Amino acid sequence: MIELIHVTKRFGAAVAVDDISLSVARGELCVLVGTSGCGKSTTLRMINRLIEHSEGEIHIDDQQIRAFREETLRRRMGYAIQSTGLFPHWTVARNIGLVPRLLKWPTARIQARVEELMALLGLSMEEFSGKYPHQLSGGQAQRVGVARALAADPDILLMDEPFGALDPITRESLQDELCELQSRLHKTIVFVTHDMDEALRLADHLVVMHQGRIVQQGRPLELLREPADGFVESLLGGEDRGLKEAALLPVSQRMLPLGPRLLARERIGQHASLREALSVMLWRHAERLTVVDDDDMPVGELSLRRLVGARSDE
Amino acid sequence: MRPEGRGPNVVLLSLTLVALAAWLGLDSVSVAANRIVSGTGYRVDEVIGAGGALATSLPWLALAGLAWQPARRHLLLALALVVLMLSALPGWLALSAVFLVDGAQARLGIGAGIWVVLFLLLLVMIELRSRLALTRLLGWALLLPPVLSMGFCLARWLEPLALWQEYRGRSGQFLGAVGEHLLLVGVAVGTSLVLGVLLALAMRRWPGVQKMGFGVLNFLQTIPSIALFGLLLAPLAWLSANVDWLSALGVSGIGWAPALLALVGYSLLPMVRNTFVALEAVDPGVIDAARGMGMSRSQVFRQVRLPLALPVILEGIRITTVQAIGLTAVAALIGAGGLGTFIFQGLGQAAMDMVLLGALPILLLALLVDALLGALTDILRPGGAE
Repeated sequence: MIELIHVTKRFGAAVAVDDISLSVARGELCVLVGTSGCGKSTTLRMINRLIEHSEGEIHIDDQQIRAFREETLRRRMGYAIQSTGLFPHWTVARNIGLVPRLLKWPTARIQARVEELMALLGLSMEEFSGKYPHQLSGGQAQRVGVARALAADPDILLMDEPFGALDPITRESLQDELCELQSRLHKTIVFVTHDMDEALRLADHLVVMHQGRIVQQGRPLELLREPADGFVESLLGGEDRGLKEAALLPVSQRMLPLGPRLLARERIGQHASLREALSVMLWRHAERLTVVDDDDMPVGELSLRRLVGARSDE
Repeated sequence: MRPEGRGPNVVLLSLTLVALAAWLGLDSVSVAANRIVSGTGYRVDEVIGAGGALATSLPWLALAGLAWQPARRHLLLALALVVLMLSALPGWLALSAVFLVDGAQARLGIGAGIWVVLFLLLLVMIELRSRLALTRLLGWALLLPPVLSMGFCLARWLEPLALWQEYRGRSGQFLGAVGEHLLLVGVAVGTSLVLGVLLALAMRRWPGVQKMGFGVLNFLQTIPSIALFGLLLAPLAWLSANVDWLSALGVSGIGWAPALLALVGYSLLPMVRNTFVALEAVDPGVIDAARGMGMSRSQVFRQVRLPLALPVILEGIRITTVQAIGLTAVAALIGAGGLGTFIFQGLGQAAMDMVLLGALPILLLALLVDALLGALTDILRPGGAE
């Protein structure tokens, strides 16, 4: 658990972060989102003391972060950044084993852990362990970056726009992988991004920052439905909000049980989002879709009226 | 575009033809009755007749033919031919010596034709080495047969070679001069390495030092070396006259002390600049990650910043050393010794071969150091990473 209590950061006369309070529960993925220069990265870097806060208190599991030595604190947290920061003169395996080596784990244990992580991130040991970072694609390098952050099995993971430099397709697949990983590992993650779609997709807890302050925080759907002010609304995409919300809701939430009518020809998976369902309808000129489960068996149906319909059934 | 390997290799072809022209057209060797008089030049056909000269052009034409259709097999043949020709050059000198030289005082000089041919053949070798993607080491190993051949010919037939005579007259002095030269360069580069690294570290810490440091070093670099030796003369002479332990050490206005000071002064700029730039240029993302992962400051420096900067720092050492080898030649003017002594003595006596006796080893030393440190830089660059 991470807690920021009335934290302020000044650089000289300039206030980068202005009296923010924030609590990230254990196992929660908290996304800090905002325009560049809003203080989101500064906030992240204060948590592992790469930047020292000027006022207020920051607690990790109810202990002040200043109670730890800087290095000790940082070795307890994973850290992944946009440029990956992989050491170009070290192999992939050595890069991943960095923090365990700093913690003086025995060699055999480091080796085993590196293998485990590479398997977890879908990097084949024999293909990648001896490679150097410049021989990797952007997506592979970022996977290694995430593996390195997870190496010493920290409870806390700090991620500073880790997917910012990737192409959209690689970025989406890594976002999916992160969601998947998180559903298994339950880390406490603070994730910084300026990409609202990414934020909505990943966040359990969404924090919108503007000019060093937190303007609104809560669950993604809460923010979408009741933005605190014009800034949050515009950041969330203004008129586009309907689609962003639809992207967060699964088809299974709006579908009806199978009726006596003939099955509609067009199909959609029950885990697909309403946005995807709408897209299929638009594309196929269909008003009804058959909802199928993972084995392609019909489990319900979704009509256009239902899709756009009342919110009461949620 | 034509596929690789088709069509003539224009570089090889033109180098070969120019070399052939130089071989036939320029004076190949010269003969002088004694050390002082200037020699008479002889072209190839004047040594062995027109027919012989035509015969010697055959390997050149073969080389040109191979360059015309540069398949890999042809290039390998060409490389073998070039090594053979280089190895034959000393033989040619020996032949000329036997034909042209009589009298104990007479000397054989190497003419412009041979120098040009030597230079062009080495260029051909470099071109072939890169075309065939041979390793650096193999490239150097290929120079072994010509060197051995030269040694063999020197021992047997090249008694009258002027350069050899100059060497034999003062072989002890020569080895001493090489030693002095290397010692001066080594101490100067070593000192400037230590000072340079310390200065670069200080510059990274205090921006004020950076501005002033580079200002002073840039200024030092603009003073001509001879002027700097002159400028150092007076203060050092005064110091040695007034400070006992300095004069006991052998410090005086001339000799090794001012030479070393000047050499260190000149060496500092490239050393500091490369070290500073190398340390600064390390990707900030990498440093950020290293610190964020929990490495201490000294771990970041030793395990990340320094190893990543090392190739560029070595590059600085290489540049500095090559520069110092050249500059040390000038230091002979103020009595610091070294190979420059022969150059200035030779100039004074109008004995060009003696000048060569100083200049050639300096050239070879510079090339050797360049190659060694270059190879070291390659080794220290892991996985071919930038």
